Amino acid sequence: MENMANKVARIPNLVDWSTGEVRLMSAKCNSCGTYFFPREHYQHRPGCSREGVENVLLPRRGKLASYTVQYYPCPAPFKTEQKITPYGIGLVEFENEKIQVAGIITNTDLKTLQLGMEMETTILDMYVNEEKQQVVTWAFQAVK
Amino acid sequence: MRDVYIIGTGIHPWTGFSETVFADFAAVAVDGALKDANIEWRRIQAIMAGIFIYGGNAGHLSGQYLESIFGETGVPVVNVYNACATGSAAIRMAYNSVAAGETETALAFGADVSPKGFLTAKSDNAVQDRDVIRWKMGGMPNPIYWALECRKRMAKYGTTEEDLALVKVLMSEYGAKNPHARFKKTYSLEEVLKSVYVCDPLRLYEICPVSTGAAAVIVTADKELIAKADKPVKINATTMGSAIYGDPTIRISALSCPAVPEAPMLSESYSASRQAYEKAGVGPEDIDVLELPDNSSWHYLVYLETCGFCKEGEADKMLRDGETKIGGKLPVNPSGGFSSHGEALSAQALWQVIECANQLRGRCGERQVQGAKVAMAQTYGLMGNSGTTILSI
Ligand SMILES: [Zn+2]
Repeated sequence: MENMANKVARIPNLVDWSTGEVRLMSAKCNSCGTYFFPREHYQHRPGCSREGVENVLLPRRGKLASYTVQYYPCPAPFKTEQKITPYGIGLVEFENEKIQVAGIITNTDLKTLQLGMEMETTILDMYVNEEKQQVVTWAFQAVK
Repeated sequence: MRDVYIIGTGIHPWTGFSETVFADFAAVAVDGALKDANIEWRRIQAIMAGIFIYGGNAGHLSGQYLESIFGETGVPVVNVYNACATGSAAIRMAYNSVAAGETETALAFGADVSPKGFLTAKSDNAVQDRDVIRWKMGGMPNPIYWALECRKRMAKYGTTEEDLALVKVLMSEYGAKNPHARFKKTYSLEEVLKSVYVCDPLRLYEICPVSTGAAAVIVTADKELIAKADKPVKINATTMGSAIYGDPTIRISALSCPAVPEAPMLSESYSASRQAYEKAGVGPEDIDVLELPDNSSWHYLVYLETCGFCKEGEADKMLRDGETKIGGKLPVNPSGGFSSHGEALSAQALWQVIECANQLRGRCGERQVQGAKVAMAQTYGLMGNSGTTILSI
C-alpha cells in the first residue's frame, strides 16, 4: 500500500486504512441485523430495540451490482485537483452484510466494467488542504 | 369525511432560470385558480403552501408571503416541505381540512424558482444532514441514482436504449402541444439516441432539468361554489407515502441500499398509490389517464410497475405496444411529463394534479384524452416521499 501517513479523509468515519488495507466504516445493528453506511445513516427494521449497534469495517472486496459513467465535471462542493471526468460511479455489493455501497470508480478502464465483476475498496486523492495533507475520498477499483 | 371538489386551478407556465420573485409567480397561479373557481379571495379559509427551499425566509413562509399579496385575512396558513412531493402534501392538507369540516374552501399552492445548474447540499453538517457526504465525497448528483437503477433494470428485464429514447420521443410530442410546458421541441428516436450521455446509460434528453413554475388548486365542499363551478372535479383520494424497510432502491442522498429486497422498489410510491386505491375504491384498471413522475426515462418505466399498471419488467412492452399513448389503453403523461417541464420542486405535484383535472374537464385541446373519467397523479420525492391523488368527474 502507498504511503498513507499524510492522507486524510475529507469527512471522518467513512473510510479506514489503519489495518493496512482500505475498508469502509460501517455499523451493524446486532438487534435487527442491518448494516449502515455511513454509520449515522440508521436504517433499523421497524420494531427493532436499536440495542447493540457496533462499528464494523466492511470487507475490502465486493461485487459490482451496478454502475454509471458521468460525462460532466462533478459539481461543487465536490472538489478535486484531478481530471476525473468521465468518471464512473459503482454500486458494490458486500454479500454477507447484505448491503450495496456507492462510490467513485478509480484505476479502472471504464469500458471493462461488467456487472458481477470483483471490486475492491481504495481511496481517491482529491486535493491538498491548507495543512499540506492529501485529502481523499473512498473509491472502488477493479481487482487485477 | 365529506366529498371535496377541485373548483379552480391555475398555473404559471414552466420556464428556465428566472430573476423573478417566486411569490409573483405564485400570485399568477393563485389568480388563475381564483378566476377559474369564480370566487373572491375572501372565500379562502385556509392556505396550504409548498415551501420554496431556496427562498430563505420568504420561501420557508411562502404562504404568509402569498397571503400578504392578496390581502391578509387571518386564516390558518401552513407551510410544508416534502421534496418533490411537497405539492402532494399541500393538497392533502387542504383536502383533509375541508373533508373534516374544519373549513369549507382551501387553497394549496407551490412556486419554485430554479437554482442555476445542479441542485446541491443545503448544509455543511455531514453527521446531521444525510445529503452532505454524497455531494462532498461521493460525486453523486441526482441523475446518478437514476442511472444506477436504470442499469440494474436493463440487466434484469432487458430494457433497451431504444426503450429509454422512446419515452422522450413520446413526451416531446405531447409537450409540444402543452402551452404550460417549458420544452416544446419534438425529437425523433434517432435524435434522442444521438444525444450525449450525461450518466450512461441515461442521455441528455432522457433526464429532466430543474425549472421555474407555480401551480395552485382550490378545493371546496361548499355546495353553492360547487354548483357554480365549471366542471368541478371530485377528489377520490389524496395520500402520502413514505418508504418501507428493505426497499432495494438506492434513494437519492443515500450512499448505500439493501442488497436483499424485503419491500417493493420505490416503496414510498408503492405505499402512496396503494393507500389511494384503497381510499378511492378503485384499482389501476380504472384509471383513464395517468400523470407519473418521469424525472428520467427509467422513472417512466418503473412507475408503471410500482403503481401496479403492469407486472415487474412489463412496462417496456406496454410502451413499445403503444398502450401508454393518448388513445392507448392507459394514456401516460399527456402533459409531456417532467421531460417537457423540468422539476419545479414545490409546484410540480400540484401541476400534475392540475393536468389530471384539466383532462377530466376536457380542457386539453390537442393532447386531450377522450372521455377520461378517472385520473391519477403520482409523485416521487427525495428521502422516501411520495403522494398520489385520484380524481374523477
Ligand atoms: Zn436495528
